[in-house]
Amino acid sequence: MHHAHIDKFAYQDSAIHRLDSRVKFLVVLFFTAVVISLPRSSLSILACYAIGPFAVLVWAKIPLKFVFKQILLVSPFVIVLALSCPLYDRTPVAVSFGPFSWQSSLGWLRCFVILGKFIVTMLALIGLVSTTRFSDLLAGLQKLGMPRLLIIQLGFLYRYIFVLIDRAHHILQARAGRKLRNLGFRTELRTAASMLGSLFIRSIDTAEHISIAMQARGFDGNWRTLSKLKVRRCDLFFALTAAVFMSGLYFFVKPILQ
Amino acid sequence: MPKAIEIENFTYRYPDGTPALSDISLSVEHGQKLALIGPNGAGKSTLLLAMAGFAKGTGKVLVDGFEVNSKNLKKIRTRLGCCLENPDDQLFMPTLFDDVAFGPLNMGLEPEQVKSRVAEALATVGLTKMADKAPHHLSAGQKRAAAIATILAMSPKIITLDEPDGSLDPRNRNNLMTLLRSLPQTLIIATCNMNFAAALADRAVLLDKGRIIADGEAQIIMSDADLMTEHGLELAQRKL
Repeated sequence: MHHAHIDKFAYQDSAIHRLDSRVKFLVVLFFTAVVISLPRSSLSILACYAIGPFAVLVWAKIPLKFVFKQILLVSPFVIVLALSCPLYDRTPVAVSFGPFSWQSSLGWLRCFVILGKFIVTMLALIGLVSTTRFSDLLAGLQKLGMPRLLIIQLGFLYRYIFVLIDRAHHILQARAGRKLRNLGFRTELRTAASMLGSLFIRSIDTAEHISIAMQARGFDGNWRTLSKLKVRRCDLFFALTAAVFMSGLYFFVKPILQ
Repeated sequence: MPKAIEIENFTYRYPDGTPALSDISLSVEHGQKLALIGPNGAGKSTLLLAMAGFAKGTGKVLVDGFEVNSKNLKKIRTRLGCCLENPDDQLFMPTLFDDVAFGPLNMGLEPEQVKSRVAEALATVGLTKMADKAPHHLSAGQKRAAAIATILAMSPKIITLDEPDGSLDPRNRNNLMTLLRSLPQTLIIATCNMNFAAALADRAVLLDKGRIIADGEAQIIMSDADLMTEHGLELAQRKL
């Protein structure tokens, strides 16, 4: 079965794709921290910040339709959070945009800032995962000092989540093929519990087989990998450009637009 | 010279007490291509696991002269490579390169040696261009070949394969047969596909209910219609 992998465009080739995963990760991390720390009255500055990840996505030839689909996929939680703001904060505030000005509430302003920050940081995050193979990202994180055990767990998660989804899908298909009428809530609940149990047992089975496969190839508890990561001049140039872009907006554009 | 595999009176029971293998004695010469045939539940996979030291029972199992015990496990793992039935269990690393490099790195080889072993193994199975791919991006046939590459990179003398033809279409099955025929190692293949076994093996061992029923030339065993039918198997349609 084919799955919509989060890094499905990471196998393309572009200058952005070729950058070192550590540099890209650190740039996105700093970018996110800067965007999150922006004051609540900074919608116009947020729009300026969006230019950075947007340019990266276009340069790396990541389809924008895919990007917005991914943002929509993870947006429900943030939308609920953002839309709750106008309900509890109704302090009147004057808002102006270019020649236009109108009265609104602080809650609505917060709502749009939360949504704006979410979209801008998501753009950066999608830019990172769409231009970096998950394996390179893990190798980069390991080099940056993330605990090895966590890296191994993430690697296994990414490797086997699709296998698990496939199995769950097959179980659901098997159930749908034999379910000819509604069996009532209690029976449905019992069936669902059995399905989950079956999935759980098969997962344990898979884990045992993986353990055998690892031991058969000499695994003794020490995780060994070959690192292919290398920071080059273009990586430093990218980091410098990102630093100039972020600090330029923070120190020069923000005071003007605020 | 020690034999590739030597098993004497090996008996194994599952943890719940069900007998899986009873009094198995078997010896395999180096370079031999052996087919372990038998119906489902005959004990073929368990016997392969016993050879690799994963199923501990009573009796003696020797791999290339080394007795299978916790003291010799490292030596055994470098001499015997076992390929599991489901390639998804065998390929657990984020990329194919990392997966094939996993064994050689655990053997303590230098990075350059590891790279050359990986390149050689991937070239043997025809997957050189897929080195940076994630295993879940490979087709069933490619996954099977990749699983074999993970073993080849460790340069074992003996390779055990559990139902290697499972869920492969005829083209991929033929590709796999060509690959396995080209390997100089001792091959022990557990299968219930008689055509596949007949095309590859020079010797066959028929297992049923955990016991060895017949052991001999593949051609003779697999053309015995009564024997095959009695143990739930079929005659090979491919010309032996």
